[in-house]
Amino acid sequence: MMDTGMVPTIDPNPLPAPFWVFKLLLVGTFFLHILAMNFMLGGAALALLARWRQKSNPYGSRIFLDVAKNVPTFMAATISLGIAPLLFVQVLYGQYFYTSSILMAWPWFLVIVLVIAAYYGFYFVSYRAQQRPRAAGRVLLFSTTLVLLIGFIYTNNITLGLVPSRWMQKYFSGASGWHLNLSEPTLFPRYLHFMTAAVAVGGLLLVLMAWAKWKRDAEYARALFQFGGKAFLYATMAQVLVGIGFLVSLPRDLRMLYMGDNTLATALFGFGVLAALLSIYLMSDALRKQNIRLAAIGVTGLTVLVVLTMCIMRDILRDAYLKPYFHPQEFAVKTQWSPMLLFLGLFAAGAVLWVLMLKWYGFFTRTKDADR
Amino acid sequence: MNFPVWDVAFGAGLLMALVAGLHVFVSHFAVGGGLFLVLTEHKARWSQDAELLGWLKKHTKFFVLVTVVFGAVSGVGIWFTIGLISPTATSNLIHIWVWGWAIEWVFFFLEITAALLYLYGWEKLEPRVHLWFGWIYFITAFLSLVVINGIITFMLTPGHWIENHEFWSGFFNPTYMPSLLFRTCTALALAGIYALITASVQKDAALKARIVRWGALWTVPSLLLLPVCAWWYIQKIPPELWSSARGAMPTGTYSALLACVLLGVTLLLALLALVRPGRLHLAFSLVVLLVAFSAMDSFEFVRESVRKPYVIENYLYANSVYAAAMPGDGGFTVDKIADAGVLKTARWVSNRVLTPANQVAAGKEIFRVECASCHTASSYRGVRQYIAMRQWDRDKIRAMVGSLYLMHNGVMPPFAGTDAEQDALTAYLSSLQSAPAAAAAADGKTVYEHDCGMCHQMLRDDHLFANMPRDPQAAADALKDLPGMFPVMPDLKLTEGERRALVQWVNAERPNLPAGPAAKGGK
Repeated sequence: MMDTGMVPTIDPNPLPAPFWVFKLLLVGTFFLHILAMNFMLGGAALALLARWRQKSNPYGSRIFLDVAKNVPTFMAATISLGIAPLLFVQVLYGQYFYTSSILMAWPWFLVIVLVIAAYYGFYFVSYRAQQRPRAAGRVLLFSTTLVLLIGFIYTNNITLGLVPSRWMQKYFSGASGWHLNLSEPTLFPRYLHFMTAAVAVGGLLLVLMAWAKWKRDAEYARALFQFGGKAFLYATMAQVLVGIGFLVSLPRDLRMLYMGDNTLATALFGFGVLAALLSIYLMSDALRKQNIRLAAIGVTGLTVLVVLTMCIMRDILRDAYLKPYFHPQEFAVKTQWSPMLLFLGLFAAGAVLWVLMLKWYGFFTRTKDADR
Repeated sequence: MNFPVWDVAFGAGLLMALVAGLHVFVSHFAVGGGLFLVLTEHKARWSQDAELLGWLKKHTKFFVLVTVVFGAVSGVGIWFTIGLISPTATSNLIHIWVWGWAIEWVFFFLEITAALLYLYGWEKLEPRVHLWFGWIYFITAFLSLVVINGIITFMLTPGHWIENHEFWSGFFNPTYMPSLLFRTCTALALAGIYALITASVQKDAALKARIVRWGALWTVPSLLLLPVCAWWYIQKIPPELWSSARGAMPTGTYSALLACVLLGVTLLLALLALVRPGRLHLAFSLVVLLVAFSAMDSFEFVRESVRKPYVIENYLYANSVYAAAMPGDGGFTVDKIADAGVLKTARWVSNRVLTPANQVAAGKEIFRVECASCHTASSYRGVRQYIAMRQWDRDKIRAMVGSLYLMHNGVMPPFAGTDAEQDALTAYLSSLQSAPAAAAAADGKTVYEHDCGMCHQMLRDDHLFANMPRDPQAAADALKDLPGMFPVMPDLKLTEGERRALVQWVNAERPNLPAGPAAKGGK
């Protein structure tokens, strides 16, 4: 029997809806957050790459400007969509999340400072890249580095929250909040797994941008497609290796979840691997045949599905790590019907209004024109 | 004590105040400034004022860069910070208000989208649609205030929630409406004040003057309304809490005074800007902004001060101990900890058993789990300074530790733990003092300030001044045995000289004292 004494108790308030409701909201909103994050970080990284290779790529400078212009919007989306999973993770996993955050309090607090700095940097690039390309390139490098650092801090916190057995020793060696989780074997593979995915999905962002310009600005759109498509291709190939590395770094009993011990995990894992391989094939085919629709609809659709399966697999892994401590049936539940229904109603209405706002802005009209 | 305690050398409370203070100053601008944008656009289009419209475009960019970036991220920052400093309170607030937070998130998401489309739409959209985005922005931003206001006011006046634990009882609590009105006025005032910043860098003096006058229409009436809102707000705060801001608690009183003065100065400066509106300088508008920031910060300090010793009034103490036992309290209530001992109850202490050898080390751990949410050893609200100022020796510290909950209108939670643990805390607190306590003070005023003023206020109806026997000898004798006179009093063991001096001074002061709000002894 493992000692579970270091895990804080839950507060006295019952869950205001059944466990599965929050689980669904947690995984669902995390999925949206991670998509936005991938666009933001992947977009920034590829803009930087385009800037760096502008000598060899005649469109490099333009790709840099075009993509960098959109990064602040994806940053806004990442943060806005990140608030919901931050809320729901505290609803279900507060004892682990707060504790690991406190153990690494300064780096965790620093995230806020880094986000603000990176965000202003992205805005600088977005507004000034045309006039001051050299400075913009440097600032973009700076902001992207900060975002990479933020991701690293996140990976530390999330992994530290999964290993309560390590907490006491860290806390009693110093309570001033400077403990990362560097001794964690899965730390770097896991971090790389997320960052590589961001580059791949960032490539798809470029593909989507190329699709929107396909008819209006054919030559440039083709260059954008090539650049983004190849980024997706190489990143996804690298991901096969990184993913294997992550799987191997997991403790054996957890690894086996994806290799037969847990049917759902195994099925999702199988689907994820096959879909990733299929997307590599489809993207290389689309690039060869200049088939933008296949890339923009087929590969993007497939990748979005893969990201969703990865989010579910991530959740299964968390619960497997916390199995000795975390027992969902211990939650008291007292559903608050009227606030919950109000939320669901407002959420639905908000989603409709959100789509309408994009429509009024002309977001969909332009895409359609371009496609015609 | 359920969670580990982050040891912030300069004070966790200071960090919290910094993050929250900066955030509220921008987030209120995000609400009022939204209405300002859309109404100014209406005004400029209606009066066909192209220059005003041109300025408004730049002001929109400033608005978005301040609110969407700093405002939004610092809001997440508050969440990060409270989770680090007060995880128990955060966990409670999350579980009580999940659906409130989730609703607020929906509004926030729409708000951010509308703000960005409003900004980027200046060049692209026809005016009618552009104005829609402005209105959607303002309405969703205001609605996010409508939601968050319920949660913030709940912490001060939970109302019937304490008995029924119903969402709406806690949400529409006694201070909900006055606070909403107060914050709305603040938001509108800030809209005008922030407009001074971008107005002051305009070259066109006539345009600058138009903006400054227009901004004053937002700032001045709102600032004039604020005292009315504040008065209503105060009426809804239980008087025994409010007395903390009326003399019973130094921080609360000082902040309240500061808030009033700074509010007046803000109004004065806003009016001064109207004297020569066309020549408004950036430095001047920055001063207005800074003063308004300090005024607002002082108000938030008052709110937090009168709430003490609680973080959720009558439910959870600032040091994460529950006020009363309930199912699921985990044993973290004053009574249960007094029985079991804090070193046995707290999860994150290493000295589980007290020995003569580990007294100071254990006392330090007790300090960390019970006191560090508000105090540091020797910086922000540093106990070393408090003790040095009053020249307490070990015996006095020990006596005071038992009476924490009486100090300053009861702004501190009671000590939760055993007598032996009080001894350990005393040992630690004494160890912080480098020099031994000075010789006993001879004059009565000093005796009062060092030993009595923590709990007794200089008011006519305070127990000390109202009930102390008038005959000097009888009074000096009565002061020999304080707990015998009044069981909650600490056993201070004043010397003969101290007692005589104190009595003489009290008798001299008695006739001159004002009647006070804490007549019934406050909390």
